[in-house]
Amino acid sequence: MRGHRRSLMLLLLPGLVLLLAGFLVPALIMLLAPPDTTTGEVLARLGQMLADPYDLTIIGRTLGLGLIVTVTCVVLGFPIAYLLARSQSRWAGVLLAVAIFPLLLSNVVRTFGWLVVLGSQGAVGQTLVALGIVDEAPQLLYTPLAIVLGLVQLFLPLAVVSCYSALAQVDANLDEAARGLGAGRARTFWTIVVPLSWPGVVVAATLVFAGSITAYTTPYLLGGSRQRMLSTQLFQYSSSTIDWAAASATAMIMTVLVFGVAALSSVMGRRARAS
Amino acid sequence: MSVTSAAQFQAVSQVFGDFTAVDAIDLTIPEGKLTTLLGPSGCGKTTSLRMLAGYLRPTGGRILIRGEDFTTAPPEKRNLGMVFQSYALFPHMSVADNVGYGLKLRRVSGSERAKRVTEALEMVGLAHLAGSRPKQLSGGQQQRVAIARAVAIEPDLLLLDEPLSNLDARLRLQMRAEIRRIQSETGLSVVLVTHDQDEALEMSDQMVVMKDGRIQQQGSPQDVFPAPANRFVAEFLGYENFVPTADAQVTVRPEHLHVNARQSPAATSDGLSLDGRVTDLAYRGVDVLVTLAADAPGSSSPDPIRLVADLRASTAPDLRIGDEVAITASPGHLVTLPA
Amino acid sequence: MNTRRPVAASLAVLGYIVMIAPLFFVVITAFTAGSTVRFPPDGFSLRWFEAAVTYQPFMSALASSLQLAVFAAVASLALGVPVALAIHRGKIPGKGLLEGMFLSPLIVPELVVGLALYQQFMIGLGMNNLTTLAIGHTVLMFPYAVRVTGASLALIDPAVEDAARGLGASPMRTFFTITLPLLRPGIFSAALLAFVTSFNNVPLSLLLQSREFRTLPVTMLDYVQQNYDPIVASTSVLILAGTVLVAVVAERTVGFAKIFGGINR
Ligand SMILES: Nc1ncnc2c1ncn2[C@@H]1O[C@H](COP(=O)(O)OP(=O)(O)OP(=O)(O)O)[C@@H](O)[C@H]1O
Ligand SMILES: [Mg+2]
Repeated sequence: MRGHRRSLMLLLLPGLVLLLAGFLVPALIMLLAPPDTTTGEVLARLGQMLADPYDLTIIGRTLGLGLIVTVTCVVLGFPIAYLLARSQSRWAGVLLAVAIFPLLLSNVVRTFGWLVVLGSQGAVGQTLVALGIVDEAPQLLYTPLAIVLGLVQLFLPLAVVSCYSALAQVDANLDEAARGLGAGRARTFWTIVVPLSWPGVVVAATLVFAGSITAYTTPYLLGGSRQRMLSTQLFQYSSSTIDWAAASATAMIMTVLVFGVAALSSVMGRRARAS
Repeated sequence: MSVTSAAQFQAVSQVFGDFTAVDAIDLTIPEGKLTTLLGPSGCGKTTSLRMLAGYLRPTGGRILIRGEDFTTAPPEKRNLGMVFQSYALFPHMSVADNVGYGLKLRRVSGSERAKRVTEALEMVGLAHLAGSRPKQLSGGQQQRVAIARAVAIEPDLLLLDEPLSNLDARLRLQMRAEIRRIQSETGLSVVLVTHDQDEALEMSDQMVVMKDGRIQQQGSPQDVFPAPANRFVAEFLGYENFVPTADAQVTVRPEHLHVNARQSPAATSDGLSLDGRVTDLAYRGVDVLVTLAADAPGSSSPDPIRLVADLRASTAPDLRIGDEVAITASPGHLVTLPA
Repeated sequence: MNTRRPVAASLAVLGYIVMIAPLFFVVITAFTAGSTVRFPPDGFSLRWFEAAVTYQPFMSALASSLQLAVFAAVASLALGVPVALAIHRGKIPGKGLLEGMFLSPLIVPELVVGLALYQQFMIGLGMNNLTTLAIGHTVLMFPYAVRVTGASLALIDPAVEDAARGLGASPMRTFFTITLPLLRPGIFSAALLAFVTSFNNVPLSLLLQSREFRTLPVTMLDYVQQNYDPIVASTSVLILAGTVLVAVVAERTVGFAKIFGGINR
């Protein structure tokens, strides 16, 4: 059917052009052959980075904080999703909306909240001083803790949504059937609920981890130059020091990490579904 | 060529990859009659209907509608009324707008359109629901709207793909009669797809039995039912007993088998006459299903053949599992099939 | 919440605190009468709201952000809906691969996309930043358009479109009278999501900014680095209010939770 194929091409063409010209081609050139630089230089720079203690610290910090954020988001997000999915209360809908709402809200606004909370004049420091626990408000900003808090706030809604979608598909009657067979509440949770909603947890973890290791606003505002992460470092290379080779090498690391995580998650998801 | 057929398939095939769904079928759809395509799941009924309607282009052969070649014409150029299994009503339009959709495309003026919409809805008894949305209607009502919508455009052919399979049993019987009535009122040529032989027998002027993309037999129910052309058609029409003979096989329906306590050797007659044993009994109120193992003289295998008799409970002899019985059938009830 | 599950309930409460508490403090700060961001705030006033709406850089950035977001939403849908149609209605071999390709801008870090466009378009080709931003935001919102309208398309019974064809409608006519009206909730969700995501974007807007055209979040980010007065808090509250409005509109039209990850309650 030639007519069919022609109209398909017409539908796809504008999108393909946008994707190729506006994304894939520039991204590939940027990664492999940035201005005034050769692919060899980029790869050499990449090699240097992977050997340099300073750069390794940044990579390590990015991955480490990403991991902590991911675990925290799953540990906090899964119970929220679980309680909401199983609740009969009409407040559950409202609470779900409250948990999802931050996804619509600007990162800058959300992260700014932590400046107010953690800043030297902020709520936490001033409360500690007022209670006489410390004499002077401690420096909480520009610490790994600040970054973790900010990123957890940022990505927790995503974890709730993914876990909720999975849990909503697990038949609540299964819980009851298991309990009817004599399984305790905890046992039902670990042997029925968790395995059945595992794919949702994998999705949640993937989204949170990939988001955490590439987020910019939060590490920039809460980590500053003291707690550099890959994203803030990349921005540094591309807008103040204009070191294209380093920028490309950093971008390459970030891209590979994200694709690696996505691939790992799709393998895990497939295995979870198969078993 | 004089127009005596509403549509014609000429060696029409449909091949998906290396799978042949419809294999060079030749078929004439008569004018003003109801034709059913009957066959088991996957035999190519829907595929044939979709080729006729223009949703699928045949990979071989020609399709004529009123004598003209329409093989490659898109659906909108064919003027056929199609009723889908899922009804496929437009959910965002009222019942009246659904029925009027095709008329609007044909630029029928507002007042004329309203009149024809009302007529079509009256024909299916739903004029009072003209303003409703499809999802406010029951399955049976949606079905009727779908038929009204297809008939309103005064199509050259009305095509229905398993129109009754989503309805409950009672409604199904009612809709059989309703579709027949609409057919005779409008005089439309109708093609109806079904996998239910009772439906086909009751509704058809012409029935076409298909299997694996090929036509097995076609003709009026009165021709096909008493004389199935092969074992497949026989089985599909409810013939359950197949007895091998020297060079062929004979088949007989369960309700035409007689079972009696055996008195010495079975009396020889021109009909079927076998010795056998009762292996199972199922009492079903009006009738009793008797499963039998019979010794087959013409069979090459030493194993007994399995037969099923459907006896009226009120006149059936008192049988027990294990009883030795005589199994007979009169010659008029035997159909000889190719081996 | 459920008091019979003490561990789960405690974790959930903690989770809500982390998500919501900072916003609470932003709101409190915005109403301060003092001139620094501090806790507890010095008195109550609306002066920082007045300051926010009269602060020219923020207001012109707001206008820029809104224009850009509207453009990105419209453009990504104009290109994304046809793609979703082709993927879900066309018979294409390797459909999964194609869809994956169209969703790929979602996976690649935004900062990397931003850098690529900055380097290749603005520096390499000398494009102005407005054009580059428009392209970049459209690229980033494109996957949302493809995915959300695609999901909604998958819910439309293809037989409905077949029925329209059979009644005499051309493919074009079928699209405009049947498919498009049925797709409206999906398109609306996608538009909303694209609009909000574009409005909030930082990495791309940051790398592609210029003095003449920069978005509100980028301008705020910059401001926070220089000054520490509550104007950012009051601006944040205004954005918060606007976002709540968007959420309410979403809830009233397509259902708020449905927009994200196909949650159906
Ligand atoms: N687009 C397609 N691609 C590949 N195979 C197909 C396609 N459409 C149908 N088939 C195959 O062709 C065969 C005939 O299908 P068809 O739908 O015509 O059967 P049917 O007789 O209508 O059966 P049913 O009673 O189940 O509706 C089936 O084996 C089906 O799997
Ligand atoms: Mg079928």
